[in-house]
Amino acid sequence: MPEKITAYRFDYLDETLSQLNKEDCAIVAGGTDVMVLHKSGRGVPPKIPKPVVFIDHLSELKRVYQKDKDLHIGSCSTYGELLENPLIPIALKNAIKTIAAPAIRNRGTLGGNICNASPAGDTLPLLYVYNAKLLLRSVNGDRVVAISDFIQAPRRIGRNHNEILAEIILPSVLEEGSHVVFEKIGNRNADAIAKVSFAGYIRISNERIDDIRFAFGAVGPTMVRSIDIEKKLLGKPFPLSETDIDSIVADFDQIIRPIDDQRSTAVYRKTVALNLLRYFLNTSQYQPN
Amino acid sequence: METDAPPTARLLDLIREEFGLIGTKEGCGEGECGACSIFVNNSLQNSCLIPIGAIAGAEIQTIEGLMETEQFKILDESYSECGGVQCGYCIPGMVMASAALLSENPNPTDAEIREGISGNLCRCTGYNMIVDAVELAAKKGEVVCQKK
Amino acid sequence: MRLKDISTPVPKKDHKDKVSGQLPYISDVKVDNMVYGVLYRSPIAYGKIKSIYVPTLPEGYDVVGAEDIPGPNYVKIIKQDQPIFANEWVNYIGEPILMLVGKDLNTLYGLRDKVKVEFEEHQPIYTLDEAIDQISSASFVSYEFGKGLDIISAIEQDAHQIVEEEYTTGYQEHVYLEPQGMLAVYKDDEIVVHGSMQALYYIKNALLSALACGDDEVRVVQSPTGGGFGGKEEFPSMMACHVAIAANAVKKSVMLVFDRHEDMVVTTKRHPAKFKYRTALDKEGNILSMCVDVFLDGGANEGLSSVVLQRSLLNSAGVYNIPHFHAKGHVLKTNTVPNGAFRGFGAPQSFAGIESHMGHLSKYAQLDPLEYKRKYLVKQGDPTITKGNFRDPILMEEMIEDLLDASDYNKKKEEFQRFNQQNLRYKKGIGTSVFLHGCGFTGSGERDHIKATVKLVKSKDGKVLLKISNSDMGQGIYTTLSKIVAKELDLPLEQVSYPDPDTKEVPDSGPTVASRTTMIVGKLLERAAKKLKAEWKSGEEQEVFEHYVHREMIPWDEKTFTGDAYPAYSWGVNFVEVEVDTLTGIVKLEKVYGNYEVGKAIDDRIMKGQIDGGLAQGLAYGYLEKMTTKQGKIQQKSISDYGPPTSLDVVPIESKLFDNPYADGPSGAKGAGELTLIGGAPAVQSAIEDALQTSFQQIPVTAEVIMESLERKLVNRVD
Ligand SMILES: Cc1cc2nc3c(=O)[nH]c(=O)nc-3n(C[C@H](O)[C@H](O)[C@H](O)COP(=O)(O)OP(=O)(O)OC[C@H]3O[C@@H](n4cnc5c(N)ncnc54)[C@H](O)[C@@H]3O)c2cc1C
Ligand code: FES
Ligand code: FES
Repeated sequence: MPEKITAYRFDYLDETLSQLNKEDCAIVAGGTDVMVLHKSGRGVPPKIPKPVVFIDHLSELKRVYQKDKDLHIGSCSTYGELLENPLIPIALKNAIKTIAAPAIRNRGTLGGNICNASPAGDTLPLLYVYNAKLLLRSVNGDRVVAISDFIQAPRRIGRNHNEILAEIILPSVLEEGSHVVFEKIGNRNADAIAKVSFAGYIRISNERIDDIRFAFGAVGPTMVRSIDIEKKLLGKPFPLSETDIDSIVADFDQIIRPIDDQRSTAVYRKTVALNLLRYFLNTSQYQPN
Repeated sequence: METDAPPTARLLDLIREEFGLIGTKEGCGEGECGACSIFVNNSLQNSCLIPIGAIAGAEIQTIEGLMETEQFKILDESYSECGGVQCGYCIPGMVMASAALLSENPNPTDAEIREGISGNLCRCTGYNMIVDAVELAAKKGEVVCQKK
Repeated sequence: MRLKDISTPVPKKDHKDKVSGQLPYISDVKVDNMVYGVLYRSPIAYGKIKSIYVPTLPEGYDVVGAEDIPGPNYVKIIKQDQPIFANEWVNYIGEPILMLVGKDLNTLYGLRDKVKVEFEEHQPIYTLDEAIDQISSASFVSYEFGKGLDIISAIEQDAHQIVEEEYTTGYQEHVYLEPQGMLAVYKDDEIVVHGSMQALYYIKNALLSALACGDDEVRVVQSPTGGGFGGKEEFPSMMACHVAIAANAVKKSVMLVFDRHEDMVVTTKRHPAKFKYRTALDKEGNILSMCVDVFLDGGANEGLSSVVLQRSLLNSAGVYNIPHFHAKGHVLKTNTVPNGAFRGFGAPQSFAGIESHMGHLSKYAQLDPLEYKRKYLVKQGDPTITKGNFRDPILMEEMIEDLLDASDYNKKKEEFQRFNQQNLRYKKGIGTSVFLHGCGFTGSGERDHIKATVKLVKSKDGKVLLKISNSDMGQGIYTTLSKIVAKELDLPLEQVSYPDPDTKEVPDSGPTVASRTTMIVGKLLERAAKKLKAEWKSGEEQEVFEHYVHREMIPWDEKTFTGDAYPAYSWGVNFVEVEVDTLTGIVKLEKVYGNYEVGKAIDDRIMKGQIDGGLAQGLAYGYLEKMTTKQGKIQQKSISDYGPPTSLDVVPIESKLFDNPYADGPSGAKGAGELTLIGGAPAVQSAIEDALQTSFQQIPVTAEVIMESLERKLVNRVD
């Protein structure tokens, strides 16, 4: 017999937060992950084990604005909305365009992609290389954490149950001069979950590497990024020497440990991840974007 | 409209079971086929992924609503003239996606049409004749581009 | 609308209701006193059922199982090896054991979670290779034919070299957009089964057996069918038994509709196959003899596999006249989901294999693959590999020439070579396939098993109804068959109609399979129309019947595998251009061409729909769609994980039809539905091979397969 289902949909964020403070709830933004995860069969509602709180209508969570050189993105901004927004960096838009298809992009949110913490989340590699920070809000106030500290494992995040992810902050992303790429490898050209993804970030000044960052998706339980490896390249002359490239690729060879699953093989994932890295390092012409 | 269905009920089930509108189809129930495409406040979405509680107060349009419009008439003709319909199961969703695209972009390129319908799986046609139909519909009407 | 040239397109008869979504597919139907059914399925691959526990059911809920079957517990098809509800042994994960019925789906899902079945588990056979290792016990059926092995042995002795190759093809899942669904409407004196289906009388016969009832106590009505592609040929018989038995047991109407996941994992798929080629060549690379061994993975029961194997074998030499050809084939049992009909029915596997092998052999002759293949093309009057005869004109040379021209093949090859030398990341290639499809049932199937009958009914006001048991599942026969009749009767098309078939109303004109509907049923209808025209009496109701007549041919003998296997063949050529990303193995289709000869197209636009749709499936079979099992479990349960093409994966297809009217087809038409799929996979494989200058021994050539091969090449170069 249909069980009683509790769901909340408040007009304002503070009411939502105070409810979350009283009760552990399942937050539903666009619902494109939640509805699939808890799908229970044809013709019936999903089985969500907790009271549900809807948040994607809250305008407080949909604002996108610039503060100094930082870009703040409301967690409930849908992909469709972000694609229309001139403040969003091109590279991030390109990544968003690889996600699912228009109808999903009209519902799915950036906050949802982060909080879902899938190793195949397509905005994550870029958010990692942008050093994204997350603003978590609760009745007790705000706290800011680095995305790499927030995402702990597939579907595991460092969120207290009274918190909501309110904003994604991309520090200095609106500064000039960096070159950013994103590559997603799926089994087909739309509606595909990444088998491997790669984001690279590079800033050059005076023919030397000023800053360089890489993140790999779908090749481990969370995004693979290594500050230690990146540091080795700082100050190196650009274009990079063959030896430097080999050594970086060898370093990542050590730490990328993908798995076999229904979508691909560990061998493939690793080969392609390293190929994309090498290709990025080999590129000698960068257009800042 | 009002309903007693639980807030987590899928909009798709509400449309089909409670309102008895059969034009919105279920092909996968998880956002992967587009057969359940509808408009929520004029935006193309998959009704199988929408818990009804999330959209209180929103305006929903299904193929049955679109059917009343001039835009539909043009799409209907174009799909017929281009042979875009085979088994038909994907078609209402495909027409919704076509309408959404043309409302945003009255003169889409081939690539933009493919992008616009990329979440709508069709196993019968191989898409090309559907792409042709959307292109023809775009040609057929300035009418089509009138914003809903 | 009066029809002049039959090929001129007309609006499809069912267009309006489909485009508006108001055509009720089975899941859109509600009837009084209707309950839902959900199936409890085996969680293990092989074992004996020890006990079944069903929780206490609330009022209005029932359990239906083997005990409720009035007749014998098997789905009547060819062999009696497929239980309706498994009650002793289970042979695959997902095999139905019992059904729960009741009003509310949520409640049913909850109850199903509480069902417990204890098994005595046995060691399953999970893969085709394991089955080949135990071939004597795992073989369902086998056939062997062709030149004597002693003769071939002698030829091989003297040959310059022997080339041996193994080739494998994977599963293919239909992904018809409408999941399978069936409704049994309970009435006091009959059970009426409605649903998504291709073969009404298969279902009716299965029901007569399962319900052990009289002919007038069951009736089968086709609902609008949202795609079939073979997936709704034999599989729906089992579902029909489930709902009809349940309806009979609980005296209510019972609806069973699959969720996509359920549909992906429990319904039949294209047989995975393995081919072993052994070819003797002379110094110049000319073929002296060829032996082919075919192994099909039948899954857990035989189903239609023996017939699929026949078609596989009959196509094992492709479109070639190979000297001293020998073939042998087996269907093997594995404890996996049963495999069955899928557009092409065994032929796509064989064509992928032989086209690949011929392409690889061309290297020994230092010829372009297409040039090599052309040396062996069959010509009118040539014998078939079963000592039949290609008696009708063959236009393949013309069709190939035309495509060489249209695609600028030779120039493109050079262009691509240059591109590939310059571009380190991306490589371009062009590939070809040449193929045919035998129209109608294999061998004497039409004459001995199907014995099709068609009926036309004319009303007083001069309207004509088609009464046949064939399903329109999107391929457009409501329109094409109506056109054939209207043309013959010289009536406006609006005056001819084709209501949804209902076994109470229509004779058995056979199932809607095997590219037989237009050619065979269409011809019967044309003859019936001719008869009606001759007997036409204004203002009177009239009925005419026509029965199948076999074309004079070399009689087919299934035991020796000799004779004319098909009355006629349709033909095709595909060219495909690709670009491969060597960093990722991603294949991008760039251009696709197809030339086809199907006698005479009944409607050019509908034919184009068959070409585009069939080719999209065929191409994807070659590089995109991938389904695997692990310990008997299908791994790809969702559409995205399996990966049929989206609109962004397909490119415009340049296709052309070559007229070659066939005397025994209506207005000259032959079969067309399956042909269009067949050339896709081999053409795409050869294009990828051309781009990377390598060879593959399998489809799908996925990005994983490509990267593995590129890595191997790299290692070899370093060594
Ligand atoms: C067919 C299909 C295709 C897809 N393709 C892709 C793809 O190509 N790439 C990709 O990356 N993803 C894909 N997805 C996954 C999904 O669409 C994205 O992850 C999307 O961003 C999720 O956003 P949402 O708002 O719908 O999340 P929801 O489902 O609402 O939420 C996801 C999770 O995040 C939590 N959550 C959401 N917002 C907040 C918040 N503000 N604060 C705290 N917790 C929160 C929820 O509790 C839940 O655990 C696909 C999904 C589908 C159904
Ligand atoms: S049913 Fe909603 S996308 Fe398939
Ligand atoms: S027409 Fe059949 S799925 Fe599109």
